[in-house]
Amino acid sequence: MTAAFAALAFLMTGLATAQTLRRAALWRLGAAAPVDWVSGLAKLPKRYLVDVHHVVARDPYASRMHAIVAGGLLAATMLAGFAILPPLAGSRFYWSVVALAFAMTLAGSLLVGARRYPKTPKRLSKGGFQRLPFLLLAYAAGGTAAALSIALSGPENPVLLVALLVAAGGGLGLAYEVKDGPMRHAVAGALHLIAHPRQKRFEQGRPDAALLPLDLDAPKLGAELPADFTWNRLLGFDACVQCGRCETACPAFAAGQPLNPKRLIQDLVGALAPDGPTYQGSPYPNARPVAGEAGPLFKVIGPDAKIHPDTLWSCTTCRACVEECPMMIEHVDAIISLRRHQTLELSAPPQKSFETLANLREADEPGARPLTARGDFAAGIELPVISKRGEADVLLWLGDGAYDMRYGRTLRALIKLFHEAGVDFAVLGEEERDTGDLARRLGDEATYQGLAKANIETLQKYRFNRIVTSDPHALHALRNEYRAFGGDFEVVHHTAFLLELIDAGKLPTGKLDAGTVTYHDPCYLGRYNGETEAPRKVLDRIGLSRVEMARHGRRSMCCGGGGGAPIADIPGDARIPDLRMAQAAETGAEMVAVACPTCTAMLEGVTGRTAEIRDVAELVLMAVETGRADEPRRAAA
Amino acid sequence: MRIAVLLSAGRHPVSGKPTLPRTEAQAIRMAAGLGAATGLHVGPDAFPAEAALGHGLDYAAHIACAAGSDPVGPLAARIVSDAPDIVLAGRRGQGGDETGLVPYAVAARLGVPIVPDAVAMRPATDGLVEIDQALPKGVLRRLVVRTPVVVTVHPAAPPPLPFAFGKARRGSIERIAAAPTDLAAGAPPPEERPYRKRPKMMRAAGGSAADRLKAVTGEATAGGAKVLDHQTPEDAAKEVLAFLRRVGVLAPASAAGPGRRPAASEDASRHATS
Amino acid sequence: MTRLRRDPRTERAAARTSGAERPRYDLALKAAPSRRPRRDPRAEAAAQRVPAAARLRLDRSQFGAATVVATHVPERQTDKASPKPIIVENPDFLVLVVPDMAGGRLGEHDRQLFGAARELAGKTGATLALVGASSADLGPAGADRVAVVARDPDAYDPDARAAEVVAAMRALDPKHVLFPESADGGDLARRVSVLTGEPLFTEAEQVSASALGRPARCRKVEQRSVPTRLISVAADSVASYSGAPREARNEQVDLASGPAKTAGAIVSATRIPADPATVPLALADFVVSAGNGVTDLDMFRQVVAALGATPGASRVLCDAGLMPRAAQVGASGTVLGASCYFALGIAGAPQHLQGVADCEHIVAVNTDLHAAMIARAGLGIIQDAQLVMPAILEELERERRETGT
Ligand SMILES: Cc1cc2nc3c(=O)[nH]c(=O)nc-3n(C[C@H](O)[C@H](O)[C@H](O)COP(=O)(O)OP(=O)(O)OC[C@H]3O[C@@H](n4cnc5c(N)ncnc54)[C@H](O)[C@@H]3O)c2cc1C
Ligand code: SF4
Ligand code: SF4
Repeated sequence: MTAAFAALAFLMTGLATAQTLRRAALWRLGAAAPVDWVSGLAKLPKRYLVDVHHVVARDPYASRMHAIVAGGLLAATMLAGFAILPPLAGSRFYWSVVALAFAMTLAGSLLVGARRYPKTPKRLSKGGFQRLPFLLLAYAAGGTAAALSIALSGPENPVLLVALLVAAGGGLGLAYEVKDGPMRHAVAGALHLIAHPRQKRFEQGRPDAALLPLDLDAPKLGAELPADFTWNRLLGFDACVQCGRCETACPAFAAGQPLNPKRLIQDLVGALAPDGPTYQGSPYPNARPVAGEAGPLFKVIGPDAKIHPDTLWSCTTCRACVEECPMMIEHVDAIISLRRHQTLELSAPPQKSFETLANLREADEPGARPLTARGDFAAGIELPVISKRGEADVLLWLGDGAYDMRYGRTLRALIKLFHEAGVDFAVLGEEERDTGDLARRLGDEATYQGLAKANIETLQKYRFNRIVTSDPHALHALRNEYRAFGGDFEVVHHTAFLLELIDAGKLPTGKLDAGTVTYHDPCYLGRYNGETEAPRKVLDRIGLSRVEMARHGRRSMCCGGGGGAPIADIPGDARIPDLRMAQAAETGAEMVAVACPTCTAMLEGVTGRTAEIRDVAELVLMAVETGRADEPRRAAA
Repeated sequence: MRIAVLLSAGRHPVSGKPTLPRTEAQAIRMAAGLGAATGLHVGPDAFPAEAALGHGLDYAAHIACAAGSDPVGPLAARIVSDAPDIVLAGRRGQGGDETGLVPYAVAARLGVPIVPDAVAMRPATDGLVEIDQALPKGVLRRLVVRTPVVVTVHPAAPPPLPFAFGKARRGSIERIAAAPTDLAAGAPPPEERPYRKRPKMMRAAGGSAADRLKAVTGEATAGGAKVLDHQTPEDAAKEVLAFLRRVGVLAPASAAGPGRRPAASEDASRHATS
Repeated sequence: MTRLRRDPRTERAAARTSGAERPRYDLALKAAPSRRPRRDPRAEAAAQRVPAAARLRLDRSQFGAATVVATHVPERQTDKASPKPIIVENPDFLVLVVPDMAGGRLGEHDRQLFGAARELAGKTGATLALVGASSADLGPAGADRVAVVARDPDAYDPDARAAEVVAAMRALDPKHVLFPESADGGDLARRVSVLTGEPLFTEAEQVSASALGRPARCRKVEQRSVPTRLISVAADSVASYSGAPREARNEQVDLASGPAKTAGAIVSATRIPADPATVPLALADFVVSAGNGVTDLDMFRQVVAALGATPGASRVLCDAGLMPRAAQVGASGTVLGASCYFALGIAGAPQHLQGVADCEHIVAVNTDLHAAMIARAGLGIIQDAQLVMPAILEELERERRETGT
């Protein structure tokens, strides 16, 4: 009978492998992708224990639950397999260890069950997941009883058969579930960690968020069919455990726009394998009707397909979902691939973006404003242009906030501070084109690459040490995304630069007495670039009393301004910036400090807001001015 | 129905970059709703044909010819041989002389009628097409016209589909060697100097002497900027109505009566007779 | 602007009325070359005269109406009491004017066309209006001659109209032929150009006896030319005629010599009038918008209807579902082409102002003196929109009662 126990372990492994292979046949429909299996496999433990754990641990209950149940399951099954070795099979001590492992699994199973019963939290999917605790329970309880009975009364005992049958029911059920059920996440998740399409995200210690360049000579541009994704991306979608963490983080979901990243990933899974179990999690809010036709070779996007275009265009590319996903799924990459196909092959970006995209293509500027007018905001302040000098220490990238009346105030403050600190800087003047960020997020990679190459060529004409910009979108493009096109620049955000100036004593600041302030992290600075500290330090240096919103730092919530979402303007129940300002209001802060032109515009556009919106640069200038006003007084005293 | 779309080499009004004029891109979208459309460009560069593919044509012919030569002859010759039912063109060129004469010249050369300023087209019964023509201020004229016909497209037509790189790649351009052409007919090019923006004449439908003086001298807006504080709502209402009448969007009190502007006349609101 | 130098002698010569034995001068004309207003008490009094009154009654609220230069003379002058019309008996040449006269009335653009024509005709030429029906306005607008062509005012047959013009050109041999660069006028001009094979100077923004100017290359350059024969005149660029009324003598023109009529390709033409309530926002000429400061939207809709305007709204109201999405004005809504915008309770956020950047005239009602919308407005009223709206309705109602319609 002990052999039967071992056989169960092997049977389970065999069944799981068979199920995995059946599923893998679908992954193989995807496009080829180079994968270094050996190195990936070697790095798997670290990726699992560090990277995955880092995310999972944000939910302590889930973290504990998962560690116990997964660890128990793995250990118990492996140990049980060793029963084929006769010396072990006869050892009571061995069987008590096996029993202990199963008991641990049992405890974990109870935790799993307790999370879903009596009431399943909203963000969790039901369906097969509601069965999972029972399968686990059967396997763990049966296993515990069987191993315990052997340990206590030897291999021939009356309990054993019944217990083993129960364990087999649960265990084989779990193994069977590897193809279409909840247990798929375990196998696909592990394989995904090995064959992840962004290996760098585990290695460089900061986010790897640059979109991958699209080969404009490829036979098809962007993803139209599930099979157009590379196979390891399809594998990644299969890794989703429907934990709903992405859903809770998604600003578009919160605003009632028809997007739910979890559902989106499940729709991609369902598009690849239409006969799988139906999705039983929360829907897209205000879901647009779709005919739902699907298949590996059927288009993914369209009212007649699986995913409505409005879903695709609701995304702000804020990466909150990616940040939260314990399975390391890259939602934004998938969304951009799909968008690329819509825009580049079908002329089907959102209607409201037609003009903007045409402007970017034909006038290098989203509003078709003359490039010569970019510096107009600075009227009366000296704004050196690099073409007149050929070089400067700092190249100031103005971005398209320069055309905005409100944001001009921020840029004027920044430039005044530069003059105050004696920074040797210059701007590109009329040679500065849009970075193309917007075109790229709207799927127009061709226009983006044109702009990127033109900007790189311009930048390479001049000598400067660093680029400073107040626009995190520009920063991300210049620092991370231009690299693929040969642009290698050191780019500093203005908040980091101001911190440097203050710490170097070049900006004598007074203390601001402006009440409490809360800082809103721009997605493209915090999540995309991992920079959350410098702006906070600046605020602290100038004496502001700072409070944090519940969501801040890398887990901050988007203002709604990224990814072309304000242009697509997909209607929902609320506006994302309104939600964000409500969160700011909860802190009681009188002022919201921002560090991005888009955030400024989005948050200022909130009606009936009680808090002021001020860019960090404006606050520093205020501090410098108070410092100056205080000086004579101090001197007199 | 077969449609030929005439394509011209335009320039972007702000950046000066080569672009397909917007109304021609709109024409492509309109053509797609009618039948099989092909593009036709006569000029030294192929880019208008390439851009047109990106805006939705599958095929365009580019007849190469020297810069500055008259495109009407080669255009008409090609249209005669293709014999489309409808020839669509932009309303004006963009970035050149912008006279809007080419479609008329082509129509005259072909001996077919021309209908300007279409915003929508629908095939009607055999050999007929229904065209909605834009008149000022949202007025439409619905015409039923016998084909073949040359039609120009008005800017108020549905916006063009965005340029799609993939489509531009997929479509094909037939390059046709230059037909020997006459150099642009007529007078030598006119003298040119940098454009100077001049104030617009105001619509003078009454108003005070000072206003009309400003209309002439160019101090544009009616009465300049005026902010009225501490007024009773009644006085405010009077001020508002007087302003609206001064700028000519509201009929004078003595005319047709509130809100009943004679709708069918294009100029009734601008200029009411007493 | 440099001041014009006056030359009394030429001014006097210009004012000399032709056709009289002894030199007679019409000094009302004198004002024309000057760009500065001069008051003429007599003309003023004439203008202030209340028509149809048996006794002389002056309406002083009409102060100054007749003295301002370069705009059309008010219709009041056309009645019998107006000064003697200027007569050009034997013109050296003719300037043919082909106005739109939509609805049988001279529009502002038509008047500007006559302004341009008079500029080209000078003292010795005469303007001749080719119209479908005569109008008492033609003389004051600057027509020396009027030729009426019998035609069905409702028919749309641009080829026939072009043939008509060509016939008139053959019969009269005008030195210039002027068309308005409007939808129909611009079309007609081009048809005439290809029919006659003569070049057309399109969209002229400057018209003088010595030169024409037009924008080209996306308004980057101005093309200049000596006046050509066929000219289309841009709207709102040339001042209308401001001198004393012209004779508007009726002239028979033989149109038999026109090109052969072809079978009309146009099977039917129906005019679909624009209903301001439903016209697409982008095409509307007059938009009245509500913002967050408007709470009574029924009242708002009544005001819009009473003003004959097209309704718009700020995003807040559209978001709240109080106004349809299609009514949203602004960067993420509709960018207006309207000539006049009336904003009620709108703050004027930058994204909203982007939508009204092209509007020439803006009226704003707002309780906040410092609202950006007020700063942008030609007329800003610091008041509660809730109170101003009924006051507008009340005032319109009062006017209606008083004028007895
Ligand atoms: C990316 C983006 C795009 C946007 N696009 C648009 C767009 O296309 N269109 C648009 O409109 N907005 C747009 N917005 C929103 C814009 O920023 C503002 O939030 C919005 O325009 C404000 O609308 P409002 O002026 O009606 O409301 P509020 O800002 O609330 O202003 C109400 C105004 O009414 C006045 N008021 C209050 N009570 C009264 C009263 N009784 N009588 C008279 N006045 C009163 C107040 O003084 C105030 O000025 C956009 C915002 C963003 C971030
Ligand atoms: S990137 Fe942001 S908006 Fe897009 S799906 Fe993820 S969380 Fe939602
Ligand atoms: S995509 Fe990731 S975060 Fe979202 S439900 Fe799936 S596993 Fe969870």
